[in-house]
This record gives sequence, C-alpha cells and structure tokens, in this order.
Amino acid sequence: MTTNTIYQFYRLLEKDTISFSYRGSFSNNVLTMVTQLFKDNVEEKHERLRNKLSFLMIESFQNIARYADTGEKTMPDETSEFFMTRNVGDTFYVISANLIDNDKIPTVKEKLDRVNTLDKSELNKLYREVLTNKQINEKGGAGLGFIEMVRKTKGKLPYDFVKISPEQSMFFMQIELRNPKTDDGLPPVSLDDAKQIQALVAQENILMMHKGDFSEEAVGPMLRMVEENMQNISLKVHKKIFHFLVEILQNISKHSYPINNKHEGIFQIGYENDKFHIGTGNFIAANEVENLKEQLDSVNSKTVEELNEMYRKYLREGKTTKSGSAGLGLIDLARETDDKINYEFIKVNDTYSFFSLTVKF
Amino acid sequence: MAEPINLERTKNSPEIILDKENAIFKISGRSIVEDPKEFYTPVYNWLEEYVKAPLDRTNFIIDLEYFNSSSARQIMELIMLLEKIPETGNKVKVSWLYEEGDEMSRERGDEIKMVSKLDFEIKEYPSEDY
Repeated sequence: MTTNTIYQFYRLLEKDTISFSYRGSFSNNVLTMVTQLFKDNVEEKHERLRNKLSFLMIESFQNIARYADTGEKTMPDETSEFFMTRNVGDTFYVISANLIDNDKIPTVKEKLDRVNTLDKSELNKLYREVLTNKQINEKGGAGLGFIEMVRKTKGKLPYDFVKISPEQSMFFMQIELRNPKTDDGLPPVSLDDAKQIQALVAQENILMMHKGDFSEEAVGPMLRMVEENMQNISLKVHKKIFHFLVEILQNISKHSYPINNKHEGIFQIGYENDKFHIGTGNFIAANEVENLKEQLDSVNSKTVEELNEMYRKYLREGKTTKSGSAGLGLIDLARETDDKINYEFIKVNDTYSFFSLTVKF
Repeated sequence: MAEPINLERTKNSPEIILDKENAIFKISGRSIVEDPKEFYTPVYNWLEEYVKAPLDRTNFIIDLEYFNSSSARQIMELIMLLEKIPETGNKVKVSWLYEEGDEMSRERGDEIKMVSKLDFEIKEYPSEDY
C-alpha cells in the first residue's frame, strides 16, 4: 500500500458513488455489517432498491462462503475470496470472486449460461422445477441462487473463469441491479473493471477498501464493521487500529474539501510484512495544503520522546493557534505509527488537491 | 444541590454519571464523538460548580475503552477541574480502569496520570470474555 496507489484506486473508482471491497474471512458478522453499510448510505432515489440489494449481497456473499474451493488460510493472498459492491450511476453491482476446482467449471458454466438466456416465464418455470426437484445438492441449491439473482435483477450475470493452476481457477461473477425509475442511460460497468480492481487489491495486500462519502453518519457503520472484523486479532493491535481509524476518518469528515456537498474519500486497511496498514485519500482545499504539509513535516521530523512531550503539554494547555502547529491527533499518529506518516499531495486543479496518507502498526 | 448528570451510553459517546448525593462520579464506555467540546460542556459546567463545594472524598472513575484525541483534551479539562478540590481541604482520587490486555488504555492512563496533579490509580479488571 502506497500513497500513490491510493490515488490510482481513487481514479479507478472515480464514478462510484459508494463502493466497498473486501478480502478475508467470510463470516456472517462481516456480511451483516456490509449490508448495513449500504443500507445506511444508499441515496434516497435508490431507496426502493434497498431490500433487493441486501438480498443480492447476501446471496453473493454466502455463495462465496459456501462454494469457494479454498483451503484454510491464515492471511489472505492473491487467490483469496473477494467481494465487492459498488454503485455507479443508477446501477448497483455486486461482484464475487473465489477459487473453484477446474473440474467443476463445466457445471457452473452450464447453469449460468442457462439462466442468462432464459426469459422471465422460462425462469419462473425453471425455478419451480428446481425447487421441487429432490436432487438438490447438499450445498443448498442446484443453481437456485443464480435463478434468483437473474429474476431479481431482470438482467444477466456476466462471469469469467481465470485459470491460475492446472487444478484451479478464479471464478468472477457480477450481479447488476439497475434502478428502472432513474435510468441514467450509462453503459454497464464491465466485469473486467472489477477484475482489475481485484488484482490490484490483492497485489497491494488490501483487506478492505471503501470509497464514498465520509461524513459523520457514514463513518460510524464503517468503524463498526472494521471492529467486528478484527475480533480474532490481539486486543492490543485491534485497539490501536480502531483508535487511529477513528482519528483519520473523523479528520476526513471534518477537513476534506466537499464536492457536491459530499466529503468524498477512500480508505483501505491492509496487512503486509506483519503490519497492519491504514491508507486514506481525500480532497483538500488548495489553500490548506501548505499548512497541512508543514504540520506533517513537523511531526515527522520529531523523535517519539519529543512527540510525547508535545502531546502531554498539549493535553494540559490545549490548542495553540500558531499556524502549522499540529493538533493532538497528528502528534498521536506520528508517535504511534511504525516509521513515519507517509503522505502525498496531488494537484487536481487550482481549487483542490488529492491528499493521501498511509500509516502502519 | 445540583441535579445529577446521567447520560446514557451511545455508539459514540460514554455513559456519564455525576451524582453528588450518592457519591458516584463515573465516565465509562467510548468517547469518539466528533464534537467533544459540545458534548462535554454540560459535564464541565456541572463539575465546575461541584468542585466549589465537593464531598469529603471524591472518587472519580474513568473506564474508557476508546477515546479520540479531541475527547482526550476534554477529559483532561475535567481532571484539571478536579485539581481544585484539594484547595477546599477535601480529598479527591481518580481511578483509571482498563480491561486486562488493553495496553493502549493503560498507556493512555499512565500518560494522563503523568500530567495530572492528582492522586491517580490505574487498575486492571479481568477481560469480559473469561
């Protein structure tokens, strides 16, 4: 994870009103939080799609948990299960990727090709047939999930198998839920787009990535999700990550440059070389760049002892008004991060720049 | 006597009980509100009155699993108010509680103890999971 790739990710997700990607363990807790995140953040005009979207997310997520041919892994790698939900224009996309044994591909392909070519009444007929068929496989459905996805979206299910070894492939699938009331006329985002994101997320060792509005209301569910997902790591590390995540996300919500009344931003959590990495990116007003840069350079140039002293002095005396003097949050971040706070400013136009930051613990 | 303060815990803000009659002074939970100044102002105002005529002994309990840096400032403001109690000839102690294994909370407590001028104890309690 680097400050520069954060910007690359932002550009890849530029059209997404909200997007969330995830690699890791697929527990029901995570699922509950992800669906909640979208429920809380779906724009009003798409409110009628909420329940459908939740249903599709659950279906897709559970498919991964149920069918992925992945052995036990302690940490995710490039073939780990991947899940993504994104809203672009008036369409929601739910993308899944997981390992599948090559010998199962023909069966899955056949089911997908079948649902992708049937019309509404044929689908209903097939659904009833499968439902009453006694030969339902032990994993809970002879393609019922696929039929439901197509019936609910009235669309197709783009898919792909990417061979990674003689035995296994990555199976990619995208569910597309279009809002019929507010058709934006945009062509659908292709599955290749999601494949590119999955590859980059894996390459950068990112576990979780969220792009969207970082206003106060949006930060809450995000934090709860991260917290829920960290239950199996040590309390010490868990506390530290949560602590700084609060700090960083609240900073974005307070200080980022609003575009169309939204505090757009991106945040990532990754795990690399035995450390957790947090990365964020957001816009900042051009006239605040110098001041922020000065603060970052100032805390980065100090030793931990000096930072401790600054922090303690600040605790009793409160904010100094001198421009360029860092606040408690930055001092705290600088003294706790392994190494220093990495940052980058990329000028977008004369009004604002893109500011990205990474820290690790 | 001022009405007690009794704030319920929320997802982002702590439970706060300030009750002179029953001698309970306690902040617990998490404090990650975005505008702690606004949140803590009524608490500060209550305590500002209290320290003028405190009980013989005040045991102020702080049991916070998380607090953001702007909350840290506000909590320090409260502690600095408590520092006025000894001037009235009465006793005051801060008890900083943290869950077993929560090094971060302990370190934060140590740090606040270092900058405060109060009798300040730091106490671990067993993890709820066991």
